[in-house]
Parts: sequence; structure tokens; C-alpha cells
Amino acid sequence: MIPTYSRRAVLNGLAATMAASLAPARHAFAQLDDRAFFFLADTQARLLASMCDTLIPKDDFPSASEAGVVDFIDLQLAGPYGQGEGLYLEGPFPEGSESQGYQLPFTPAELMRRGLNAFGEAEPGFADGEESRREDMLTRLSEDDVDLGDVPARAFFDELWQLTNQGYFADPIYGGNSDYAGWRMVGFPGAHAYYPSFVANHNVPYPQPPMGINHDPGGDGGLPRVTKRQEG
Amino acid sequence: MPDKTLPKTDVVIIGGGWTGLTAAYELAHAGQRCVILERGDHRHDATSFAGPEEHDELKYALRYTHMMDVKQNTLTFRNSRDQRALPMRRLGSFLPGEGLGGAGIHWNGQIWRPLPSDLEMRSHYVDRYGSDVLPDDLSVQDWGVTYDELEPHLDFFEKICGAAGYAGNLNGESRDGGNVFEGPRRNDYPNPAMKQPISNTLFGKAADEMGLHPFPMPSANVTKAYENPYGAQLHPCTYCGFCERFGCGYFAKADPIICVYDRIKEHENFEIRFKSTVLRVEKSEDGKTATGVTYIDDQGREVFQPADTICMNAYALWNVHLMLVSGLGTPYDPETRTGTVGRNYSYQTIAAVDAFFDDEIITNPFMGAGAMGVVVDDFNGDNFDHTDLGFVGGGYIACKQYHGRPISYQPVPEGTPSWGREWKRAVRDNYLHHADMVIHGSSMSTPENYLDLDPTWKDAFGRPLMRMTFNFPENDRKMSEYVMNRTVEIARNMDNVTSVSSVNLAAPGKDYTIVPYQTTHNVGGAVIGTDPATSVVNRYGQMWEHHNVFVFGACLFPQNLGYNPTGPLMGLAYWTLDHLKNDYLGNPRPLMDA
Ligand SMILES: Cc1cc2nc3c(=O)[nH]c(=O)nc-3n(C[C@H](O)[C@H](O)[C@H](O)COP(=O)(O)OP(=O)(O)OC[C@H]3O[C@@H](n4cnc5c(N)ncnc54)[C@H](O)[C@@H]3O)c2cc1C
Repeated sequence: MIPTYSRRAVLNGLAATMAASLAPARHAFAQLDDRAFFFLADTQARLLASMCDTLIPKDDFPSASEAGVVDFIDLQLAGPYGQGEGLYLEGPFPEGSESQGYQLPFTPAELMRRGLNAFGEAEPGFADGEESRREDMLTRLSEDDVDLGDVPARAFFDELWQLTNQGYFADPIYGGNSDYAGWRMVGFPGAHAYYPSFVANHNVPYPQPPMGINHDPGGDGGLPRVTKRQEG
Repeated sequence: MPDKTLPKTDVVIIGGGWTGLTAAYELAHAGQRCVILERGDHRHDATSFAGPEEHDELKYALRYTHMMDVKQNTLTFRNSRDQRALPMRRLGSFLPGEGLGGAGIHWNGQIWRPLPSDLEMRSHYVDRYGSDVLPDDLSVQDWGVTYDELEPHLDFFEKICGAAGYAGNLNGESRDGGNVFEGPRRNDYPNPAMKQPISNTLFGKAADEMGLHPFPMPSANVTKAYENPYGAQLHPCTYCGFCERFGCGYFAKADPIICVYDRIKEHENFEIRFKSTVLRVEKSEDGKTATGVTYIDDQGREVFQPADTICMNAYALWNVHLMLVSGLGTPYDPETRTGTVGRNYSYQTIAAVDAFFDDEIITNPFMGAGAMGVVVDDFNGDNFDHTDLGFVGGGYIACKQYHGRPISYQPVPEGTPSWGREWKRAVRDNYLHHADMVIHGSSMSTPENYLDLDPTWKDAFGRPLMRMTFNFPENDRKMSEYVMNRTVEIARNMDNVTSVSSVNLAAPGKDYTIVPYQTTHNVGGAVIGTDPATSVVNRYGQMWEHHNVFVFGACLFPQNLGYNPTGPLMGLAYWTLDHLKNDYLGNPRPLMDA
């Protein structure tokens, strides 16, 4: 029985069109499915999943949320990155030119929370929309053509897209790229990298399947060691 | 008043990267008691950089775990004087280091020498093309030190790194397969060139067929078991593809920890203090010398360390910042064009060309190394006739395979949407079938590109941030466009190529932006020369205004050459140390008359 606050329960609350793609058979953070999110509220998580899956939709390879990207983003926002590590946040905060880079007073976590809430209000039907409609809305977001109050639409989009992309392709220890979805898709063999005798073999496909940092050969894919140990 | 004043030491060295550790090695062996103050922490290749944990793209390449912390110190930036500079709130365009080894830990290891003409830039161009060739808005100048003077030191640094390559000019004899444009070298590289993947090989083949002169990129990713002159043991590169932005746990990428620090750390004249940020250099009452440095130690105390000689090795940008906050030298004023500290800041002008192959070509981009490349130098420096081109300088063209890390390496042909279904398909289809070419161009100095102090923002220690004012000069925009177009021609001639795209970061009308990574090749601001009106240090790296302060690093470059800076700046470092040890210490004084 999955508790009602669980990730799977939250994401299964999506519209039927989306829900089909949101029943991950098995992924790296499957053991988190019956736990609550660390940072995201349920409504934010649902909206985020539909936005991520518009950016990286399902085809022969999993969609973003199927690959654990919502879990990844949740963990990133709850962690040091989300809380503003590596970000100089001393005021004042005058507006700058594009070439001067990020000038908002928000940590990534604040930016995403505000952005998701404001976008949810501005586009209440987003998650239920057809893919083409969702694409149009995200295009407008990326072009700064949506009013999100004190959050510039483009800055929110850029953060969202960066995190989504990172979640799909980062090592599975961070909760995304589950079952190496992103790495299998492109053919990246991973962290156990040692090619002195292969690099000059021209046009020969590399035969090894992906292995992440915590990969146990012959084990169960990307399950983090720490969690397994706890499970006994 | 400092919380504490320590006993005097012979030499205090600010910064424990390539130049700082090397200064300590050489001066400790010359009998000088050296203290290095390093703002970051201890770390070591054997314990801190081992795979698979080090092979974490998110943590190191994108969250910048080995780099400096902008919360402690950053700078403000604007494109021109009529703009308000704003803080660089996160790292982007360049990634300076922090901690033992500095940026020498996460560099790529592309190890170059300057061309002889690069070092005599103004006189060389004027001699060859007449005085009109240099536009008025360029403040290009000679280095005041020549290739022949630096050659033994460039040679020695290649040996320290166990550099891998193939000489193109051995004692004046030109050799096919090497860089036939380089200055004469007394020795070949200590190790054979790297292996090459199919992408770089096809680039070299096309360039060769066009009558150009391709050669393997000189590399500090070592190709054989090797012992350097200090006794450090290096191992062959594994082509793991986690080089730039990562430390090398294989002991295969030459870095200052294994090549220098390990060989000096036990010496009785050597001491390094970590988590020790130098706040400023203190001057004597008459201002003619410095008395030592004030720093915050690892317990947060403000400490004064007196010293006879001060070496500034804090990386190009932070050397200039320290001079500005300490009142060393005379700050540059762009209004009157007087003063020198902060003058002639320049950078590197980058353009890129992508070639996409059909499915027959499988590149395996994840098999890479920081300096695994094939290079064409025909359009660098003054290796080609500049008559009527309307610009000076040039750049090397390199086809490189340095990583296939899947968040950052997502090449897609022109016209592909930047996300969504079509994008996803294109990423999947092209990952194994792409060649990456860079145009690594020179950057000319101008009176309007400079460094000074910001009036508003402060760092964690209450010091004003440094303010950078920079945009690409017209000269460099034209240069970049020209060399990029030559690159496109090569790319189109490569076998099995189905499409080619290009981007010039210095395209006409495009402002330099601090956001996307370009290079950590910030140069100038405290330049070397023979005239105190246009240089901060004399030709020995000694400050004109304070003779016991010696300056190291790329801040010395009067303008940037088309090559990566570490080879040239380490050549200068050994040159300076040679004169410091053999001339200055026995009789401390200005080594040149002002
Ligand atoms: C991603 C990347 C790739 C690169 N690739 C190449 C390449 O392929 N080829 C090439 O030639 N060059 C390359 N470089 C550049 C190369 O790393 C630098 O040129 C070189 O490290 C400069 O040496 P340095 O001693 O001047 O400075 P660093 O090595 O940066 O050392 C400076 C040290 O000073 C310390 N410091 C700064 N301020 C203070 C202070 N106030 N108090 C105490 N300590 C302080 C810093 O923490 C740092 O450890 C690359 C750089 C980067 C970041």
C-alpha cells in the first residue's frame, strides 16, 4: 500500500495523458517512491513533472520524470546547490545586461518555488494540456512572454531546463538518470573510465554497458550503496 | 592592528598553485626560508581525485567543487565604462582555482610555447608591415624579454610536466609532423605524442590535404611512465575523459601537487599554511619596499607575516586585486591613460566549429584527454601574411576530443530546437558522430579594457571587489571571424561529414558575456616591460615601485597570445626565479633603472 503523501501517489495524481508515462517500472530511486518529497509541495511536484516531461518527453527512452528527474530536482533544491552554495548574494540587486549574468536575489530553491507557484497560477491547465500546447507554453516561458510577478520568466525557465537536463544525465547517485536512461540513450559508459588500449580503435563501438559511481557489477543498477546497507 | 605578528621569514609566497609552489621549490633550494600562504585547503591526487568518485560531472564540472568560492571573493563586471558593473554572482566564463595546486589541478594540460614574434609583438608587426598596421585603439606592446631568453625555461617546464608531443623545429631544423611554425627548441618533447581518435585524425587528414600543417597538440597528459627533473613519478594517461575541471587520480596529468609539492614538502626551508587568505601586502614607510603580508589564518585571526621578499602567485586576477587593495604600484586611470596597475587586461577570443559525421564514423567521445587534439597553427600569431586583412594576431585551430560527459557534451546540428522531442532525438543521434573544433584566438589589449576597484560591492573580508571592464576589440572580432572561416573550410573537407556549424563568441555586435565558459586565461593587469609608464614590473618580474615584490602569472602578459598561458607564464616564472636567485638575493635592489 502506497501512502497518499508518497511520490508515486503524488505523481499519479496527474492527468491521465501524463500518468501513463509516470509509472516507473524500476528506477534508481524506486525506494523513495513511498516517501514524501524533501523540498517540493505535492502540487509543485505534479506541475514540475509535466514541465520536465515536456522538455524531455518519452520516446524509445524514458521521459524526464520516468528517469527520476523530479526526485533529482527535489534533492538538488533541498541541498547545498538549492540553498545558494557558490552564489554571491550580496545586495544591492540592480537589473543588468544579459552579459552580466544572474542578478536576482533568489537562491535556486527560492527561484524554483516562486516560479512554480506563479506559473501554476498563470497557466492552471498546463498539466492537462496536449503536448503541443504544453510546448507552446514553455516556448513562451523561455522567451520571457509569461508574467510571473517578481520572477523573470526566462530565469525560471533557464533554471528549470538546466536542472531537468542535469537530472536526466547526471550520475544516478543524485536520483535521476535512473537505470542509466540518459546514458543508455547516447551511449555513455559512465564513471569507470579507462581507455588506454581502446582510444585509437577507430569506428569501433564500445561494448560495455554504463556503470555509475556506485555501480556494483552484477548488482541492481544504480541503487545507492548507503540505502542498500540500511536495508540490510 | 593585527591580532598577531609572526617572526620574519625570508620569502612569503601568496598562493600555492603552479607558480607559487615552483617559486618555493626553487627558492628553498637556494637557501631561502619560504612560507606559502594558500587560501584553500590541502588536497592530494592520491586521496582526493581517485575514480570513480572523481568522475562525477555534476559535482566537479557543474557545481565547481575544485574551484574558488565566489561567496568569499568575486569581481564585478561590465562591458564598457558607461555601464554599471555588477557582481559575477556565480562562476561561468572562467574558473579560477582554490586549494593546494590552484587551477593547475583542474586544467587541461595543453602546454604551449609562445612564438618568438608573440613576445615582440609591437616591434615585429611594425617591422614587417609598417607603423600603420596597429590601430590606435590597441595598446599592444613588447614583453621586454625574448624567446631566446625564455627558451631554456620553457624547455625545463616541459620536462617538469613530462610533456608529450613532437618537435616541429629542433635547433632550427624543420620537421614535418610537428609545429613547423614554432621557435627553435633545444630538445624534443620528453615523451611521445598522444594517441588520436578518429575525429582528430580526420581533421588532420583534411588539413594536410589542403596544404596546412597539422600536428598533435603538445600535452601535459603524460604518455609513458616518466620521472621529472625534481624526481616526481608520472604515469601514462588513461584517456578517461575527466580532465579539465577534475583532478587526475591516475598521476597522469602533470599538476603542481605531484610534480612540485611532493618534492619540496619535506624540505626544511619549506612551509605552507592552508586556509590562509592574504588580505593585503604591507608597505614600508617610504613605500619603496614591502614589509610583509597581512592574512586571515585558519582560526580567523588577522596575522602579520613579515618577510624580506614577497612573491605574488595568487593567479592573474587576484594578484591585481591584491595590488589595488594594498596600494602597490599606481592604479591605471582610463580617463588620463596614466598609471599601470589594472592596465591592459585581456582575455582569449574563442570561436567553435562543429562537424557532424554519418553513422560510419564512431567517435566514442568519452575517450578523451584534456590535451588530446590535432592542431593547425597556420593562422596563429603572425604565421600568415596579415597584409590587408585589417587585423593583427590569430589563433590556433584544434580538433579536440577532451570529454563526452553527457550533461555538457550534447552536440546537435544547426536548426535543432533546444529542448523537446526533436532535441532529444538529435542528442541521441549525434553523440557518437561529432567532431569538436575550437579557434583559440589572441586577445589584444586596449586602453578601455582594464581592472580597478568597484565602488559598491565587497568581498567576505570587507575589501572592495575588483571591477572588470572588458569587451572584444574590433581587431579581435575580425581575427576570430577570419580564422573561424578557415576552420569551416577544413571541416567541410573532412571525410564523412554531413553538416558543419560554427559560432564566433566575438561575432560583430555580440558583447563578451561572463556567463558561458570560455577560458581561464585572464591575462594582463600587471604587465611586464621595460618602461615603467606602461608596465607594473620590469623585465625580471620585479615591481618597478617596490623592488622586493616579484610578480608571477598571466597578469604579466601585455596582451594575450593565441596559445594557452601556462607554458609561457611558467617560462617567465623560471626566468624571474633565475634572476631572483642569482642576482637579486645577494644584493637586493631594483634590477633595472626606471
Ligand atoms: C578549466 C581550466 C582549464 C585550463 N586549461 C589549461 C590548459 O590546458 N593549458 C594552459 O596552459 N592553461 C590552462 N588553464 C590555466 C592554468 O590553470 C593557469 O594558467 C595556471 O594554473 C596559473 O597558475 P598560477 O600559479 O598563476 O595560479 P593558480 O594555479 O590558480 O594558483 C593560485 C593560487 O593562489 C591562491 N590564492 C588566490 N588569492 C589568494 C590570497 N589572497 N591569499 C592566499 N592564496 C590565494 C588560490 O587559492 C590558488 O590556489 C586552465 C584553467 C582552467 C580553470
